Amino acid sequence: MIVTKKAISRRTILRGMGATVALPLLDAMIPPLTAAANTPAKPVRRLGVVYHPNGVIYDKWLPKGVGADFELSPTLAGLQPFKDKLIVVTNLYMDLAEALGDGGGDHSRACGGYLSGVHVKKSDTVVEAGISMDQIAARAFEGETQLSSLQLQMDDNSLVGSCDVGYSCAYSSTISWLTPTLPLMTENNPRVVFERLFGASDSTDPKVRAARLRQDRSILDSVTDRVKQLQRRLGAADNTRVNDYLTSLRDVERRIQKAEEQSAKEVPDVERPAGIPESFDEHARLLYDLQLLAYQSDMTRVITFMYGREQSPRTYPQIGVPEPHHPVTHHQNDPVKMEKCTAIQRYHLKLFTDYLEKLQNTPDGDGSLLDHMIIQYGAAISNSDRHTHGPLPTLLVGGGGTLKGGRHLVYPVHTPLTNLQLTLLNLLGVPTEKIGDSTGQFKELSEVGV
Amino acid sequence: MHPRWLRCDSLQILPVFSVVAPYQRGASPPSVRRRDLHHGLLAQTATTTAPATTPARQLVNTYCVSCHNERVKTANLMLDKVDADRVSNSANEWEKVVVKLRSRAMPPPGARRPDNETYDKVAMWLETELDRAAAAHVNPGRPAALHRLNRAEYANAVRDLLGVEVEPRMMLPPDEQAHGFDTNADALSIQPALLDRYLSAAAKITRLAVGDPTIPPGFERYTALKDNSNESTWFSQNERIGEEFPLGSRGGIVARHYFPVDGDYVFKVRMDRTDTGLIRGLSARNDIEIRVDGARVGQLTIGGTPEFTGANTNSIENPDYAASRNPLMTADSGLEVRAPVKAGMRQVIATLVKTDNLETEGLALNGTPIWSREHTTKPNNPAMISSLLIGGPYGARVSQTSPGRERIYVCHPASSREETACATKILSTLARRAYRRTPTNDDIQTLVGFYQAARAGGDFDAGIRAGVERVLVSPDFLLRIEADPAGVAPGTAYNLSDVELASRLSFFLWSSIPDDELLDTAVRGKLHEPSVLEREVRRMLSDKRARTSLVQNFFEEWLQTRNIWLIKPDLNQKFPWFDDNLRVAFAKEIELFLDAQLKEDRSIVDLLTSNQTFLNEQLARHYGVSGVYGSHFRPVTLTDENRFGLLGKAAVLSVTSYSTRTAPTIRGKYLLENILAAPPPAPPANVPALEESSKDGKPRSVRDMLEVHRKNPACASCHARMDPLGLSLESFDAIGQWRTTDAGTPINASGVLLDGTRVDGPAALRRALVTQKEQFVRTVTGKLLTYAIGRGLEYDDAPAIRGIARAAAADDDKWSSTILALVKSAPFRMRRAGS
Repeated sequence: MIVTKKAISRRTILRGMGATVALPLLDAMIPPLTAAANTPAKPVRRLGVVYHPNGVIYDKWLPKGVGADFELSPTLAGLQPFKDKLIVVTNLYMDLAEALGDGGGDHSRACGGYLSGVHVKKSDTVVEAGISMDQIAARAFEGETQLSSLQLQMDDNSLVGSCDVGYSCAYSSTISWLTPTLPLMTENNPRVVFERLFGASDSTDPKVRAARLRQDRSILDSVTDRVKQLQRRLGAADNTRVNDYLTSLRDVERRIQKAEEQSAKEVPDVERPAGIPESFDEHARLLYDLQLLAYQSDMTRVITFMYGREQSPRTYPQIGVPEPHHPVTHHQNDPVKMEKCTAIQRYHLKLFTDYLEKLQNTPDGDGSLLDHMIIQYGAAISNSDRHTHGPLPTLLVGGGGTLKGGRHLVYPVHTPLTNLQLTLLNLLGVPTEKIGDSTGQFKELSEVGV
Repeated sequence: MHPRWLRCDSLQILPVFSVVAPYQRGASPPSVRRRDLHHGLLAQTATTTAPATTPARQLVNTYCVSCHNERVKTANLMLDKVDADRVSNSANEWEKVVVKLRSRAMPPPGARRPDNETYDKVAMWLETELDRAAAAHVNPGRPAALHRLNRAEYANAVRDLLGVEVEPRMMLPPDEQAHGFDTNADALSIQPALLDRYLSAAAKITRLAVGDPTIPPGFERYTALKDNSNESTWFSQNERIGEEFPLGSRGGIVARHYFPVDGDYVFKVRMDRTDTGLIRGLSARNDIEIRVDGARVGQLTIGGTPEFTGANTNSIENPDYAASRNPLMTADSGLEVRAPVKAGMRQVIATLVKTDNLETEGLALNGTPIWSREHTTKPNNPAMISSLLIGGPYGARVSQTSPGRERIYVCHPASSREETACATKILSTLARRAYRRTPTNDDIQTLVGFYQAARAGGDFDAGIRAGVERVLVSPDFLLRIEADPAGVAPGTAYNLSDVELASRLSFFLWSSIPDDELLDTAVRGKLHEPSVLEREVRRMLSDKRARTSLVQNFFEEWLQTRNIWLIKPDLNQKFPWFDDNLRVAFAKEIELFLDAQLKEDRSIVDLLTSNQTFLNEQLARHYGVSGVYGSHFRPVTLTDENRFGLLGKAAVLSVTSYSTRTAPTIRGKYLLENILAAPPPAPPANVPALEESSKDGKPRSVRDMLEVHRKNPACASCHARMDPLGLSLESFDAIGQWRTTDAGTPINASGVLLDGTRVDGPAALRRALVTQKEQFVRTVTGKLLTYAIGRGLEYDDAPAIRGIARAAAADDDKWSSTILALVKSAPFRMRRAGS
């Protein structure tokens, strides 16, 4: 059954309620997606990664106490309602993000290797990192959803010149790598995200949508034929780009095929966002809403979201930090600057907590969406002033019975961050033996005790 | 401490000896290094005994090999071993030597150097030898066979193909960039998300261009600043803000919007708010006008009513007042008008009517308008428009005369029997333009197939739309394809076909597809003829598209002035008067300046020396220029020599600075890379931050901070070149204002050039750079070539660059002559076959 477009537009609701600010997309307009709600419970097969740039003030971040008996820190205090669903994982490091003879560029190395645990190649032309953990999961799930993954972020990451001494902007602008040489671009425009999820046809009429998919499919078939002709005509040396092209075509084709199979599925009746909202707050909430929508309608199982690219200079006047973020994080132990850093981290967490609340309130099978997904929240830099790559601030949320929440797990110092990612992949049902510098799995995530 | 030893070593800190280098100042060097040095000296003795047959051998033996030899391997350059008789056998090494000689970057400061005459004589000899050898064995290089259009090129191509202007940022993701430009074929990757976007862009663009009465209404948002983001902005709207705006207006938004069909459209206005979400300026009545192509289509009013002027405004400013009922938060929700608009590209303006009693925030003592951050919290400041939403269409009717249809429909079928023939004609015409060649039968059959399939389920327009969509996602449109022709021996150079040359030309000069005249000439096989090629280049340069695309794509990337939109001057303490109007003015000035340089076909050197610029009142005040009033930009002849040319432009000075202070190192590096063609090596590991204050807590000037930094020998070897260059611009602060003190210390803008010449201040720096203008011309030529051919340059491109510069020098280094010589050069007209 398709809810008609006519129903109630977002604008109407806004006006009806007499509010013009930051009304989250979802509060009133998402129809019950019965298909999802009727699905019997399955193992957790959804992964989210939320990344924030420029490190933390670690002693304000680190909880007191260990194991089940711990107290949320001043920075994390807002997560109190979800304390029993979260695990703080302490003493994880990215030792391979250290210089190792490559000089400056800690921001790029940290972000570039965050989900792969490799030491990225220092280059502002030919990039090389590792396949990121989200993409390993995406590969495993890709047959099941239309989009294998989504990469979202708040910043528009076009930037001229190398972003960091000798490092391509790719390293600091995305955490998702499809292959070691193919960083995935991120999207910050809610309108574009919406169109990727629900098509540009802007119609909920099943006939129109089906016709659109047929048209896309025949275009892709015809383009594939033409690219294969080119492949035959060009020498082996030129074929890398052709192969990228064919791989991409297959990926899009699979999405369309999936969409055709699922064409009976309901499309949420929400108006296309007009673009990037005017406030950071509204923008972040909208991108979180779209993530929820994507999980709920099972368009994808894997999403990475960045509050900004590494070294982001965004200002946050709305919370009393009119200075650019990155310079403030080089606080040189000035307590005023440090407090501003903490304020930004608390603000990011506040938006995140509101997202968790919505996930919690969204029914999914025998529980809530939050029960059926795992979210990793964290950063690739610990002490922002000194660019340290550990102990990294790292949280896990959700996971229903798969993760045993309400605990603070403390590992020996210099435990690789990749051990956590390796464990998560296996918990998600993606058997994996090693990622980057990983040395083994954590058995404690799903068990009690440390 | 052995001075000669220190000299070699300080050059080789990167990257191999970076760990060792810091030991050397003051301490006795590790013994192993002493031995190395010893061998180095022996090597020098040994080589000098060989007959020094060529000027190059003589020079390097005298000045270079004591460090650059097989044993010491400084910078991995071993000049004792290279062939100095047939220099082309070691062209890679000798080209490095040429750069060092021409830029006077070597020998290092303090070491014995040749005199100027020797420098130039030997460099000239080497260049002559290298160029002669290169002419005998042309190596034009090999740009990638598949070269994807970047998003600016895509949008321009769509405009020239279909007559529709689209905002590329809304359609496609940003492109990666390599070797300084996003025209680099290797950086323009293809990935699934991008193909998805091409598919949806094609569908949307086709609908706009052909028109579609069933097009569903949707909204586009335009914001006061170009970048359409929600980064905090301080854009003052107290004055008329541009030529496009009506007289007597203040602030507002101008948008170029494509209306796909005739119909009704809705224009909504959203007002600017404080950080807590209160609309400001409501205590007074504000009149807002909406204009489409200059004609007023609606008037709106907000504020001045009792609810905002009454005694209870204090309570509604109270943050606890329920948001949903607070008129200060919701008063703009009904600000909209609906009006009929004819299909086509239109300029839409939303602006405020200026009143006499507008309370502005006044001027500071020095006359600078203060846009204090006060406005972020105070709702009483003047009202501003923050965004304009254009929605529609409602009651759509397809217009037969929209620019899109006029461009696409080269015929109109009079009866259903004529339809297929007409569709074939329409689609072949499009394919020829889009694919930049004569379409094959296959190409046409494919498109007609799409037409027929869609025509079967819809009308003629639906069929055409399907064909146009297929064109827009075709690899033949999205990729520039240069495949080796059959029969060319592997690894050899061949001439591009005329048709390939036409695409290289149009993407270089227009960032777009060839027009019919260029393509016709190429298809007739005439384009390679020198006189025809020259005529076409001159014709293309006289088209405004050439200037627009070179300014926006070449210059903005080369000079990094695109970053103007990203700089974040410290508004709290250092630069409270910086606002986005000033940011826009920085961008506008450099754009107009560069455009005029091209339009007037000036000498390349004028980029450094020109006393002409374009200012409005705010920027004139910023520069200390008097007698300029109002918001519009006009040509101004500068009298202060320090402001002449690129190095006096706030755009350049601010993108090479930090948010709170200047960065002489960045400015020095910028000069080395972009003016002098002598880029410094990458910085070593573990660079310590500058110490902003001394031990006793006293703040240091930037010059003092860097001096402390340079005491570290690992830092000194590069900083000794960058900093003194950059320090000569210290009279300009981080946003390009003239200043006389820094941290309470009088500005010392003395600097040292690579050859040891001392200069004092920006004007002296510029004069010194002009004495080496050949270096500058070569730098610009190299950048232009990198941009034009879409690949990074190699040492064997140097002869071509010199050839271009020589040809242009005969005509006063004019832009047209440089571009013409570039177009005729081997790297542009030829390609090396794969091996």
